[in-house]
Amino acid sequence: MAVEFRLPDVGEGIHEAVLVKWRVKPGDTVKADEPFCDVETDKAVVELPSPVAGTVSKLNFAPGDVVHVGDAMIVFDADDDTVSKPARPASVSPESSPAPATRMTSQPSSAPASVPHSPPVQAAPDASAEPPARRPLATPHTRALARKLGVDLAAVAASGKGGRITDEDVRKTASRLLQDTAEALSAAAEPVPVIESMPLVTHEAGERLPETAERQSTDFGPVERIRISRLRQLIARNMRASKATLAHVTHVDEADVTDLDAMYRKVKQQVADMQNVKFTIMPFFVKSAVAALKKYPVLNASFDEDNQEMIIKHYYHVGFAADTPEGLVVPVIRDADRKDMIRIAQEIADKAERARERKITLDELQGAGFTITNVGPLGGLFATPVIPLPQLAILGMHAMKDRPVVRNGQIVIRKMMNLSISFDHRMIDGMTAAAFLHEVISLIESPEMLMLRLV
Amino acid sequence: MVVGTASRGCQVAVIGAGPGGYLAAIRLAQLGKDVLLIEDAKTLGGICLNEGCIPSKALIHATDLLEEASHANEMGLTFTGLNLDIKKLVGWKDRIVKQLTGGVAFLVTKNGGDILHGRAKFVTDRRLEVLTEEGPVLVEFEQAVIATGSRQVELPEFPFDGRWVIGSREALSPTSVPERLVIIGGGYIGLELGSVYRRLGSHVDLVEIADELVPFHDPEVRNIITQRMRHLGVTLHMGHRALRMERDKIARVIIAGKNGKESTLEADRILVSVGRTPLSGDMGLDAAGVRTDDRGFIRVNHRMETNVPGIYALGDVVGGPLLAHKAYREAKVAAEVIAGNPSAFDNVVIPAVVYTDPELAWAGMTETEAKAAGHRIVTGTFPFRASGRAMTLSAVDGFAKTIADADSHLILGVVIVGRDAGEMISEAALAIEMGAFLDDLAGTIHPHPTLSEGLLESVEAALGAAVHVLNAK
Repeated sequence: MAVEFRLPDVGEGIHEAVLVKWRVKPGDTVKADEPFCDVETDKAVVELPSPVAGTVSKLNFAPGDVVHVGDAMIVFDADDDTVSKPARPASVSPESSPAPATRMTSQPSSAPASVPHSPPVQAAPDASAEPPARRPLATPHTRALARKLGVDLAAVAASGKGGRITDEDVRKTASRLLQDTAEALSAAAEPVPVIESMPLVTHEAGERLPETAERQSTDFGPVERIRISRLRQLIARNMRASKATLAHVTHVDEADVTDLDAMYRKVKQQVADMQNVKFTIMPFFVKSAVAALKKYPVLNASFDEDNQEMIIKHYYHVGFAADTPEGLVVPVIRDADRKDMIRIAQEIADKAERARERKITLDELQGAGFTITNVGPLGGLFATPVIPLPQLAILGMHAMKDRPVVRNGQIVIRKMMNLSISFDHRMIDGMTAAAFLHEVISLIESPEMLMLRLV
Repeated sequence: MVVGTASRGCQVAVIGAGPGGYLAAIRLAQLGKDVLLIEDAKTLGGICLNEGCIPSKALIHATDLLEEASHANEMGLTFTGLNLDIKKLVGWKDRIVKQLTGGVAFLVTKNGGDILHGRAKFVTDRRLEVLTEEGPVLVEFEQAVIATGSRQVELPEFPFDGRWVIGSREALSPTSVPERLVIIGGGYIGLELGSVYRRLGSHVDLVEIADELVPFHDPEVRNIITQRMRHLGVTLHMGHRALRMERDKIARVIIAGKNGKESTLEADRILVSVGRTPLSGDMGLDAAGVRTDDRGFIRVNHRMETNVPGIYALGDVVGGPLLAHKAYREAKVAAEVIAGNPSAFDNVVIPAVVYTDPELAWAGMTETEAKAAGHRIVTGTFPFRASGRAMTLSAVDGFAKTIADADSHLILGVVIVGRDAGEMISEAALAIEMGAFLDDLAGTIHPHPTLSEGLLESVEAALGAAVHVLNAK
């Protein structure tokens, strides 16, 4: 029987991928879980494994094509024993016109093809008593919800009376699919487990410029239209979502980094020689931030608005902003509290490098509770970074400069750096944010104190 | 661009102002789109409002009244001097049509849509040329909705001439009542108009190529409809083909049965109602790249998208049951999809009504279809003869029948033959669309005394618990 593979929704705002290459051609036999193509998402290049054993009957895209989530990429002719029998198509509307000529019905041609059940999310608990021809039982309201969430009703386990699918059932399936597919796609080497039940995600509305902007810009002179990259689209969405959701406030203070700089210069070459790693001052900031987060956990948290709950993280995964030619990405150093500074320096160098080469996995970009961004190389006094959702705060490091400052009534020249803490004022008060920043500065200004605080 | 050609832009161009087109235009305007509704005819509303559903129902109601009045003796009512003024009747119908088509134009413009009268033709997949009375207008659009509908099929041996051979349009605006009317085609238009003309006094011959009326229905439905047409006095020629016509002072229709034996029917007028064909030619679909099937129906998916991005189609021109309410629903889907909402035509049932006397209405599967789909079924029937309300209305003909899955009791289909069946079928459509089981309907209180209790009783009969008729053992 024919089985279509639709590009899964992996969440993270990824709506499309570029087909890099096919590993099969029509007529080839494939084993279940055998990779059949490579696709490139915003984050990584991954192999997609075959959902079934059988023969490749049709390829719907060519290398270089953009494939949207929900698009049928490939059709397999599956060996029958590898797929559970599909549900019969829903009973179609009545043939209702008695006049012979009006009975020339043409059912919508590209209505969803038969979608086999997926084993992990089998339908109807009373499957043993399953009548032969059963459509997924759901009210029009629930069907609309399923469409909105990109859930195929055939893949929903029904909890209602007589196998009726409730809104809650649809929501549960949606969140499970999101989890399953995100995990599957991020672990590039592992097979994707949930294939047949891939949601058909409809694209978000309202992503385009207001018409006036489109029309007017051409009125004033020649313009050029450049298709933005998928990463840029993702950045745009995330930035806008953050700005639209959080109550951004930025607090700025300065740190005297003369002693830190001196110490850093002392160890930099030694570490580079010993460990073959480019040592920067970033690890000092990661460690200082972790120490301060332990004192002010509300900055290492998220806000569950639906349930009106604050989610305090008991782990210290710190994101750091890394520039790549395609745009900004934020790799994560997991468990920064349990790693020494050399290890952290190594990770930063490695992940930044792989991010630039776009070889970083989705997994390595997820899970941060707090982020640090080094704006210093750009110069300037300070910036107001955007907080990456669902985090509530971001620490900004600004340019290090020799500045005249007053010490003991004397003007002296010291290495100074501005530091900013941008925070979500809904959850974090200004006092707390200032105290957090003060804590970071006190450790940065006195590396000895930082040393005492290391675990 | 042609010199002297006017041009204008819009976000969405809707071609055709029948039920599907005008509804799409209104809904798109409500959703904030800059809409241009293009209609070739002078009035909006399409076939349905101008020469279909609405005018036919006006004539049907008037002749129902005539029929009832002439048979009210039993109630002690006798009417004398009951006269038919055909001109006045048509005038009344025309006023209704005018009010409705004017109402459509009002709704479109008040919601912010624009109307352009003219014939539209695609020049590219983003541009239309509209031939208006003032000359051609180029319309640039971002999206287009094709809702051009269908037209009646013409038989080569019986070309429409507006006098002897007419279609439903002329039949709905008669200037006189023909003495002898031959109807070719026993679909719902043939049945409805046959009933109307029979009651207006015509002798009606109905020629149908199939062996039975409403052939896809279960036997008891076919029987009652056939009986009622006979009882009304319509002469049925089942399994007959209309071959040709001859004409001198009157027309003669030569028909032949399966055995090839010919016979002749005399006629003062011949109504051809053998079905409808999509209006998809002559509109530059090739220039836009829009694909149709081999019968001319435009191919769309469940989001009403054609193969060309940005071009949508709906209503009769995409096929399926050629019903205004199907077009209405498709229009809402198309408008929502264009506005970026997740929407799809995912309906389980499209109910249908034939305005015979009594009315025939159904939603979902027939018994035969349910069995063919693999169901073990249970059915329940309630005859209106046992309904108190039906008796007081002197409308005891007909029944309500419910078909359900025997194992799950999921309601699969309902058919109602009887007075106001068309009004009652929506309850069944809702039940099936919601995934109702027999006991969901049985557990709903139905007001007494109403005809709608008939549906309740049929459901209870399916459960073996009918009260007002004896249950099948």
